Amino acid sequence: MELRPPIVIASGIGGMGEYLKLIDPKCIGAYTLKTITFKPRHGNPPPRLIATQNYLINSIGLENVGVKKFIEELRGQVYDELFRKVKVIFSFAGENFEEYLLVAEKMVPYQDRFAAFECNFSCPNVQFNPLSNPTELKRMLLELRKRLNVFLIAKIGIEGGFVEDVAKLAEDCGWNGVTLINTIRALHVDGERIIAGGVSGPVLKPIALRAVYEVRKRTSLFIIASGGIMNEEDAQQFFKVGASAISIGTALYKNPKIVEKIAKMFY
Amino acid sequence: MENFSLTKHELIQLTEDTFIVSFNEWIEFEPTQFIMIETETSIVRKPFGLGRWNKRLAIGVQIIGPGTGYIVQQNVLNAHGPCGRGFVPPGGKGAMIATPACLPMAMDLKERHGCDVFIGSAEELSIEIPFPLVVGDEPFLNLLRSLRGYNWFLIVGSDQMEKVSYDVLKDKAEVFVSFNEYMACGIGACKGCAKETRTGLKHLCIDGPVLRGEEVWS
Ligand SMILES: Cc1cc2nc3c(=O)[nH]c(=O)nc-3n(C[C@H](O)[C@H](O)[C@H](O)COP(=O)(O)OP(=O)(O)OC[C@H]3O[C@@H](n4cnc5c(N)ncnc54)[C@H](O)[C@@H]3O)c2cc1C
Ligand SMILES: Cc1cc2nc3c(=O)[nH]c(=O)nc-3n(C[C@H](O)[C@H](O)[C@H](O)COP(=O)(O)O)c2cc1C
Ligand code: FES
Repeated sequence: MELRPPIVIASGIGGMGEYLKLIDPKCIGAYTLKTITFKPRHGNPPPRLIATQNYLINSIGLENVGVKKFIEELRGQVYDELFRKVKVIFSFAGENFEEYLLVAEKMVPYQDRFAAFECNFSCPNVQFNPLSNPTELKRMLLELRKRLNVFLIAKIGIEGGFVEDVAKLAEDCGWNGVTLINTIRALHVDGERIIAGGVSGPVLKPIALRAVYEVRKRTSLFIIASGGIMNEEDAQQFFKVGASAISIGTALYKNPKIVEKIAKMFY
Repeated sequence: MENFSLTKHELIQLTEDTFIVSFNEWIEFEPTQFIMIETETSIVRKPFGLGRWNKRLAIGVQIIGPGTGYIVQQNVLNAHGPCGRGFVPPGGKGAMIATPACLPMAMDLKERHGCDVFIGSAEELSIEIPFPLVVGDEPFLNLLRSLRGYNWFLIVGSDQMEKVSYDVLKDKAEVFVSFNEYMACGIGACKGCAKETRTGLKHLCIDGPVLRGEEVWS
């Protein structure tokens, strides 16, 4: 996959393309959509966010319209402008292994429109953790690879097994890339309120750097680095340890223009 | 929707913790729309309702934590917006019930729609304002109980003030409330500002911030 510049908008952070209102599309290598699941998901009850200087905790819970409605929207040209302006990555997940396969099957007729499919195996805000069952995970990686003829990326986190082992498994099953890492389960106490969710932002950076470093040693996969990339210096560090592209996530919430600043590194 | 910088024109102190910040620049907006302001104290931008003061673009800021403290001190603020749906009052006579931090929003609504405005404050204000002011909880409740002959009310303030006001006003007229929820993007991307309503999940940064009170509270 060739991304120019090698900058990706992270899944869930950029919704369904909304940030194109605030960022020059020429500075975006690919735009990853919010994860789509087989069934529509209402998401978790509010409050869903809490932020400090160094981190954001979210418990959105994969709120999305489900694959059936998403396909209706796709066919109804809702995303045509987005496709015209940027390369788009489709992100998907399920509440069990079968649902991952069902989403993939439904999306087969549309796969050519996307630069890649990113399979989200690592959302901390849902009950199901595919990474905790390597045997089933291997079966699913193989089944998904069989069904899909697109650049396939596994989004993996650090909860469920060593990230380099999971990445190697994905490579052995014929996958093309990995996104490292997702948010990690965390908790914030705000007075009387307790907000449990996934943590993102600068606190993730050293963990994500190590993940990229280890996976680069073990595989030749395309690596999209995700976790606490806030500025040009962070981006450079990820490329230094082996990233093929970097993903901008929480940094967008501080300043969407950061994408344009980082893109200048490549022009 | 745009990114922009705002430079401070004037800082007016209303109470110990509440200020009006007016700006040299102007942006087009509709009543109750807001901007997302960058601070050094948080990784996400913070929402502030747009309004006007002395013919300039302005926001009101009540200091409740580090971000609001930062905004009052800075001379240049980076922001994006305007966000949210503009409030379009229904026909008939209306009134806005607000806290001092909402004075610029109230001034804007008054200028555009000629509605009445009532300000409820915990303290006396340090400036004269062109609206009736009540100070303290009991006088505020008495004011709410005394309001008659209105077709609609718009309540803007803290969660607690909004709920108390809604409970008193709900049987008198149609009541709209500007709801508070944590936000990260302000543009409908993150799904962080979800609010359960009778008609399903709404996202305050695109469907609100103003909703009918009865959609959220029975
Ligand atoms: C649409 C909208 C418009 C707003 N307009 C204004 C305005 O015009 N003037 C103004 O002064 N404030 C306004 N606010 C509130 C303002 O955004 C918050 O007060 C501010 O983000 C607090 O930042 P802080 O860093 O000072 O405090 P923080 O450290 O973030 O918070 C201090 C305390 O307040 C609570 N809190 C913070 N934000 C919220 C929230 N959105 N909902 C519920 N509880 C919260 C926190 O849980 C914490 O306990 C608005 C909020 C919304 C959603
Ligand atoms: C509000 C929010 C929603 C997210 N939603 C998703 C999602 O739907 N799918 C996904 O794979 N990752 C999701 N993520 C994780 C991000 O894509 C990213 O991997 C993570 O935030 C770490 O990067 P960052 O520190 O740069 O934000 C979400 C993160 C946040 C903060
Ligand atoms: S604040 Fe992000 S969707 Fe409303």
